[in-house]
Formats: sequence, structure tokens, C-alpha cells
Amino acid sequence: MSDHLSDRELILASDGELSQQRQAHLEDCGFCLERLRSFESAMAELVRARGNYNPGGQRRASALFRARLAEAAASSSRPTIWRLAPAAAAFVCVLAIVLVAFETRVSAEGPKPKASLTPGETRPITIAEVCRTAQAETITPNITEETRRSVFAAYGIDPTRRNEFEVDYLITPDLGGAESVRNMWPQPYSTRWNARVKDRLEQRLHQLVCNGALDLSTAQHDIAVDWIGAYKKYVGATSAADPNRPR
Amino acid sequence: MPLTALIETTPSGLEEEVVSLFEQLRIPVLRYVLSFRIPVADAEEVVQEVFLALFRHLQHGRSCDNLQGWIFKVAHNSALKQRSRTRRQAEHFSYLPVYSDAPADSSPGPEERLAATQRRQRLLAVVRALPEQDQWCLSLRAEGLRYREIAGVLGMSLGSVANALSRAVSRLTRAEEFDV
Repeated sequence: MSDHLSDRELILASDGELSQQRQAHLEDCGFCLERLRSFESAMAELVRARGNYNPGGQRRASALFRARLAEAAASSSRPTIWRLAPAAAAFVCVLAIVLVAFETRVSAEGPKPKASLTPGETRPITIAEVCRTAQAETITPNITEETRRSVFAAYGIDPTRRNEFEVDYLITPDLGGAESVRNMWPQPYSTRWNARVKDRLEQRLHQLVCNGALDLSTAQHDIAVDWIGAYKKYVGATSAADPNRPR
Repeated sequence: MPLTALIETTPSGLEEEVVSLFEQLRIPVLRYVLSFRIPVADAEEVVQEVFLALFRHLQHGRSCDNLQGWIFKVAHNSALKQRSRTRRQAEHFSYLPVYSDAPADSSPGPEERLAATQRRQRLLAVVRALPEQDQWCLSLRAEGLRYREIAGVLGMSLGSVANALSRAVSRLTRAEEFDV
């Protein structure tokens, strides 16, 4: 193994941090001395090249810095309450934004059906049967009073509040949805994502299926898993911002 | 540079000390920040912010050890942020033209001055062709930082700094030999 100084030792030598033993080697070794001289010469050349750059404006920069420093010092000597005021204001703004966003999200999403109670069920149906009419039926087939009671009970909704909800099919019968309680849920009238909005999705899916642009099974799956997501996907993100906007 | 021992504890004393450090180190720090190819006006702003941060750092009674290293470390991080903010192209920057516009050294005649300018430009071209981390090491070294301080500023191991400096100096040496 060579006894000459490594690159790191060469830099240590330049910083005056070399051990006594290695320093002794350096002083006796012409090769290492030449490398050190070369290293320092290259650095000196670089320092000269960089040293020519003087941006000037020292007085102006110092004056500006003094002014900003004085401002910083004055600001730090203000009472704590005033120093915290901007941060408190920012916090309140952020909190307000978060609350508005939360409220918007809650009202936008509305209660979706519970997957455990309403996973969506289909019945055997052919494309010809689905497409026998130009448009999907928007009138919900009659649901018996007994079935409605079962659905409200399953969702734990007090019967006195029944006027606030419509018992709706998750997968519309026109797309092959079964007339089963596992395909029904109480949809609130008050939410933005209400039955009228869902009717629009059903029309769109019907159109896509009958045009051959979408598999019936995909349409059934997407509306069952997340009908609001399906609305955004198939009807459009723009109208999803306000699904009740006239189209 | 015994920067550690300078700091006084009274508010006005602290301000004066920070102004003094600003005046002492503004140009070296500015040169370093400009090596990130940031426009001069933005680089000046970075330098001001660095020294305001230094004031706040000392005002809160934090460590006064190796202030030069601390200053260059904050300058390094601020320059990286500034560079990603501006995202301008290197050719829009004025650092290199400033070099060539700078007065040449005191060589006796116009031919010597021209030769010296060309040599300087070749040297700086070699630096610009280095990997960025090697350029940082070299710039900090040229500003007088010891290699342990460079490792602290850049968050690198001593071995990596030694390798980077060695690589960079080797290229510079070859460039010089080419001139001779």
C-alpha cells in the first residue's frame, strides 16, 4: 500500500490538520509536496477568478439591511399578543376554510347507501330488454308499504321522519336492478345528491349501454359501488360541482 | 475568523454585531448564492434574509459556535429554495457575464490582460462543468471554509467532501496545465 498522502490527507494538510507523523512524511516526500502545491495553486487560481467578482452596492445593501434589521428588532419587542395576532388570524382563516370545505363535502356527498344493507342486486336481463325504450324509466316502480317499512327499519330511521326520504333503488330496474330490499335504501330529499340527480345518471348509463359504449355489468357495478362517483365519471366533473344545475 | 466570540448580549449590541457580520460576509455569501445561477436581485434578497435569520437565531440565544458555517448553511438552503421558486433558465442569469465584465488583474499590457481573462473564463467553464455538489464544495472552499465546515454546510461526510474537492481540483489542475 502506498505511503503517500490520500486526497483527504492532502486537504487536511491544507487545513493544517494533518497528524505529526503524516506531516513528517509530507515534508520529506517530493511527490506529496508537489501534489499539495498543485492543489493549493489550483485553489488560489480559482479564488483569484472569483475574487474579481465584486457586485458593488455595499453601502446601499448595508443601509437596506440596517432598516430591515431595525424593523425585525422592533417587531420582536412588541407585546406577545400583537406578535401572535397575524398567526391567530391565519389560524382562524384556515379553520374557516376547513369548516366550509367539510360542510361542502358533507352536503355534497349526502348519505350513500350502506354497502352491508344495500349492496345492490340484479335480476337476469338482456340488452334488448334494457334498450326496449329510448330512455330509462324515471318513475320508480311501486314499492309496497311493507317493503318501505323494512327499509326504514333496517336503516334505523324513525317512521315519523319518513317524509324526509324516498325509498329508491340503488341499481335502477331499467338497468337490471332487482326488486329486493338489498337493492333499496332511503335517499334523503334534502341532499344535493338527490333522486333527481341519480335519475340523470341512470339516463346517461342507459344511453351508454344502449350505444354499446359501456357494458351493462360495468354500469350495474359502478352505480352500486359509488353512484356519486359514477355520476362524476359518466355525467361529468363540471356538472358534478352542482348536480342540480339545469342541463 | 473568530466569529464565535463577537456576539454581545444587549439588543443594540447584537444588532451592531449582525450588521458588522453582514458587511464582512455579504460578498462571499452573495458569490456563493450566485453560484446557484440565481438572478442577482434575488441573490441579494437571499443574503438579506440569511442575515435577518442570523439575527433571530442569536436573539433567541441559540448557538454561536461556527457562525460562518451556520451562515453558509442557511444561505445554501435558501438558495436552493429560491432557485426552485424562480425556475429560470441559466442563460437568463447575469453571474457569468459579471465575471467577464469585471476588471482584469494588473497585467502589464492588453495582450496579457486578454490572456488572463481567457484563462479565467476557461477555469470558470471547468467549474461549471463539474457535478453540482462538487461545485458547491469548491465554491465553499474558495470562500475559505475548511473541509469540516463544508461537510457541515452541505450535510456530507468528510470523505465525500474530500472526494468532491479532490475531483474538482484535479480538473482545475488539468485546465491550468492545458493553459501552460
